[in-house]
Amino acid sequence: MKLGRYEVKFEKRVTLRGWEATIISIFAILFALLVFSLIFIRAGVNPLTGYKAIFSYAFASSYGLPLSINRFIFLLLCTYAFIIPMRAGLWNIGMAGQLYMGALSAFAVAYAFGAKASQNAVLPAGLVIPLMMVAAILGGAVVSAIAGFLKGRFNTNEIVVTMMINFITYWVVARLIKEGGLFMGASGEGDGFKLPESIYAPLIKGVPFTIFIALGLAVLLYFLFAKTKIGYQIKAYGLSPAAAKYAGISPFKIPLLVFIMGGLIAGLAGYHYFAAVPGLYRITKNYGEFGDLAFYGIICGLISQGEPLAAIPIALLFGGLTNGGRFAQGKLKLGFGIDYALLGVLMITLVAFQFFYRYKIVWVKTKKESSDVGIHG
Amino acid sequence: MWEFMVRSLDASTIFTIAALSELIGQRSGILNVGVEGVMLFGATIGFMIAQTTGSYLLGFLAGIAIGGLIGLLHGFFSITLGSDQVVNGMGIWILGFGLTTYIGYPYTGPLGMERIPDINGLSPFFFVGIALIVIAWFVLTKTSLGLRIRSVGENPSVAEVSGINVTRTRYLSVITSGMLMGFAGAIYSLDYNPVWSNDFLMGWGFIALALVFFSMWHPFILLGGSILFGTLWQLSLNPQLVLPDVMSRYIWRTVPFAITIGVLVLMSTKWFAARWGAAKPQALGLPYEKE
Repeated sequence: MKLGRYEVKFEKRVTLRGWEATIISIFAILFALLVFSLIFIRAGVNPLTGYKAIFSYAFASSYGLPLSINRFIFLLLCTYAFIIPMRAGLWNIGMAGQLYMGALSAFAVAYAFGAKASQNAVLPAGLVIPLMMVAAILGGAVVSAIAGFLKGRFNTNEIVVTMMINFITYWVVARLIKEGGLFMGASGEGDGFKLPESIYAPLIKGVPFTIFIALGLAVLLYFLFAKTKIGYQIKAYGLSPAAAKYAGISPFKIPLLVFIMGGLIAGLAGYHYFAAVPGLYRITKNYGEFGDLAFYGIICGLISQGEPLAAIPIALLFGGLTNGGRFAQGKLKLGFGIDYALLGVLMITLVAFQFFYRYKIVWVKTKKESSDVGIHG
Repeated sequence: MWEFMVRSLDASTIFTIAALSELIGQRSGILNVGVEGVMLFGATIGFMIAQTTGSYLLGFLAGIAIGGLIGLLHGFFSITLGSDQVVNGMGIWILGFGLTTYIGYPYTGPLGMERIPDINGLSPFFFVGIALIVIAWFVLTKTSLGLRIRSVGENPSVAEVSGINVTRTRYLSVITSGMLMGFAGAIYSLDYNPVWSNDFLMGWGFIALALVFFSMWHPFILLGGSILFGTLWQLSLNPQLVLPDVMSRYIWRTVPFAITIGVLVLMSTKWFAARWGAAKPQALGLPYEKE
C-alpha cells in the first residue's frame, strides 16, 4: 500500500519484545472499545456518556468499586487457570466446569458440618473455612485433571473434553441445588442453601481475603515461569511437545500437571464467588452467568500473553468493565447482555490483533523514480 | 415411541448439517472450533429476520448469509493472515456467544409463526440433511473440485505446484462451511425449537465438532454418528418417554456429553488408530504460506 512517498509494508517479526506486546495489547483494547461504541450508538446513547457511566460506577463509586474488586479477584483466578495450560500450548476452556465443581465441593464441606440446617448455626470457622477452600481447589483439580490425563495419555483434544465437562458439571449443579437436590435452599426459588453467618469468609475493608491469595499467586506464578525448572519444562513443551520429549520432558506429565494446576485455581475461583463474596454466600440459581464470566479469563490470558503480572491490570479493567456494564445496562436502558456483547467484541478484536504479534508495520520511503512513474503513468 | 423417534431424527438433522459443514472446512485443512458460535449467529439472525418479516424463506437466507460471512471472517484470519486457527475459532465462538446473547435478547420468546409443515411428523429438513450428505460425499470423492479440496487439506504445497489455487479453494470451503453452519443454526431456531432464549444451543456445536473426529472425515459415518447422537440428545431431553424414573432429568442432560468424551478417548487410542487408520487431513490446522 502506498501513501504519498511512503510505502506501508508488513514485515514478519523475529522477536516480540515485552513493550511491543504491551503496546499492541493496549491498542487492541482501545480498538475493541471503539468498536463497542457502536452498541451504545445503536441504543441511542452517546458512547462517551456510556463509558463514563461504566467507569465511574466501576471504579469511583462506593457501591460499584467493591463489586468490581470481587469480579477482579474472580477474573484473575480464572485467567491463571487458563494461562498455566496456555503456557504449555494447551487450551483450558473448562474454567466454568472447574469452578462449579469447586463451589460444589466447598458447599459439600459446609453441608457436612450441618450448615444447611440453620442460618444461625455456629460452626468452627477456623476449621470449616480452610476445609471448604481445600475442597474447592481439589474439586476443581479433579475435573480438570481428567482433561490433562486424557491429553497426556491419549492425546485427546482438550478443547472438546473441557467443554463437555463444562456442560456435565453445569447439570450436576442443577441436580444438586434444584428440585429437592441435596444443596437446595430453603427459599425454594432455585438457589442453593445459604451459608450460616459464622462461616462467612473474612473481609478486609469489605474485600474478601481471597484477594491476597490471588495476588500471591501472581508472584508465585511469575517465579514459577521465570525461574524454575518446571516452568521451563512447561514452556519447552508448549513450543514443541515432540522436541521436549527428546529433552527428557514427559509428554504425559506436563499436560496433566498444567491442567491440575489450572483446576486448583479455577476451583478457588468457585469458592471465592459463591462462598466469599458479600451478599451471595450460596450457589445462586444464575450460576451459569458466573461460568460465562469465566470466559473473560481466556481474553485476559491472551492479552497478557500468559504473563501473570501483566494479567493483574487487565483483570482489574475487565472486572470493572463487566460490573459497570451491568450497571450501565440498567441505567441507560441498554438491554440485557451488555457484558456478553463486550466479551464477544473484545475476543474477536484480539484475534484480529494476533496478526500484529507476528508482523510489524514498516514505512519504506519509495524511490523518487517509482513515485514519478506513479504520477505520470 | 414414533413421536420420540421422529423428534430424534429432527435433532440429528441439526447435528448432521452442522458436523458436515465442519467436515467440509476440515477437508480443506481449515479447523473451526467455533461451530457453536456460527450456529448461534445463524439461529439468532434467522430468528430475528423471520419474526420481523414473517417469512421463513428470508429467515433461512439470513441465517445462511450470516454463516457465510462468519466463515469468510474465519477464512480471512486463518488463510490470509495465517493466524492460529484454534485461537480464531475460539474467537468466533465467543463472539457468537457474546453478541447473540445481547442482540437476540429483545426477541426472547416464541417465534409465533405457523410451524413449518412436516412429512409424517418428520421435519422436511431431515431429507435436506440426507441430500446434503450424499452431495458432499459425491463432490468430495467423485469430482475434480473434491479432489482439489482434499489435496489442499492434505498437502497444500504439492497442490499449489500442481496448479491448484490453495487460497481460493480454502476460501470456497470455509465459506460453504460457514453457510451450512448458519443453516443448521437456523433450522434449530426456526423449526426444531422455535423459541429464542439466551445461549440456547448449549453444546450442539461442540458435539458437532466432536462428531467430525468420530466420522474419520467420511460423510456417511458422520450421518450415522449424527443419528446416534441426535437420539441420545433427545433421550436426554425427554427420558420419561423411554426410561421413566431412572435418573434425575438433570443427570440425563449430562449423558450425551459424557458419551462424547468416551468416544473421543476411544478414537484417540493407539489401538484405534492402528485398527482403523487415521483419515485426518494432514495439513489440518496448519496455515499455508506460499514460498
